[in-house]
Amino acid sequence: MATELQALINPESMKMLSHAIVLGCSALGAGAAMIAGIGPGIGEGYCGGKAVEAIGRQPEASGAVTRTMIIGDAIAETTGIYALVVALLLLYANPIASAFTKVWMPK
Amino acid sequence: MSTVMLMAAEAAAENTFTVNGPLIVASWEMFGMTWNLTESVIVQWIVMLIILAICLILGTGLKVVPTTRRQALAETLVNFVNDMVDGSMGTKYRAYRSYIGILIVYVVLCNLISLVGLRAPTADVSVTGTLAIITFFMTQYNRAKTGGVKGYFKAFLDPLPFMLPSNIIGEISNPVSMALRLFGNMVAGMVIGGLIYFALGNVMPPVFIPAVASLYFDIFSGVIQAYIFTMLTMSYITNAECE
Repeated sequence: MATELQALINPESMKMLSHAIVLGCSALGAGAAMIAGIGPGIGEGYCGGKAVEAIGRQPEASGAVTRTMIIGDAIAETTGIYALVVALLLLYANPIASAFTKVWMPK
Repeated sequence: MSTVMLMAAEAAAENTFTVNGPLIVASWEMFGMTWNLTESVIVQWIVMLIILAICLILGTGLKVVPTTRRQALAETLVNFVNDMVDGSMGTKYRAYRSYIGILIVYVVLCNLISLVGLRAPTADVSVTGTLAIITFFMTQYNRAKTGGVKGYFKAFLDPLPFMLPSNIIGEISNPVSMALRLFGNMVAGMVIGGLIYFALGNVMPPVFIPAVASLYFDIFSGVIQAYIFTMLTMSYITNAECE
């Protein structure tokens, strides 16, 4: 057991461990970024509910209301899309992990 | 023990799901820069050929009184775009009809071409960014045209001079958010579709679930996002008008 621990604690494996921690934190960050999905969800739900109310009051204006609702939804969605882009960057582009590799493990 | 762990990590790494950017088909050096010919460009050429074919099929042999179904379809499409421009921009912006029409057709086809297995060009931020930059310059052009030089710069000091930084940021964030909205939606559909195939690959033959997901993420989302992109282009151009 002691020898195995000693074998594990060497500069190489410590570097690997820190790399793994950076990757894991990137994955956690991606998940945390997607908490921003709450905002667009509430906003679009509110927008859709109000549109239904408006169409219920004025059924003849349903075309204009739907058009405006879709534009409003798209604007409300922007922050969610930003969060998605951040999460995808953290998951698949790994900017932090590659910066870490450049600094700590130069080829 | 550590070697076993390493081997397990390597085996897991080979079985992971990754998302790749568009393939680089060719690249060459010119003017001190590297120019890449990517998959997105090739697929856009295919989309342009499809649009050319649609124009040739629908646009030839037109008569004053429509007798063919072809012409009825063509008139429906043109009327849809004309009504959309008249409804959202007003009748004085009729010159923008041709651009708005080609924009919606182009973005719809770019989004839907993922159904035949090609990579959607709009899942590439350089394509959506280009479209958004075109919108940005049209916005600036309309502001300068309606307001003149004085009105153009005065619009940035509106309503109060100290709002200048936030007006500039707002002006730049419009194309950024447009580009990222289309790109994010398309790439999200691509990633979710890929993840469903990847997850189902180990369990069962991917039959029913990917079809339902594709119905939403490819068809519905693709058409709606193209519509939204066009509507936002129209409203930004109209809102830039100076009184």
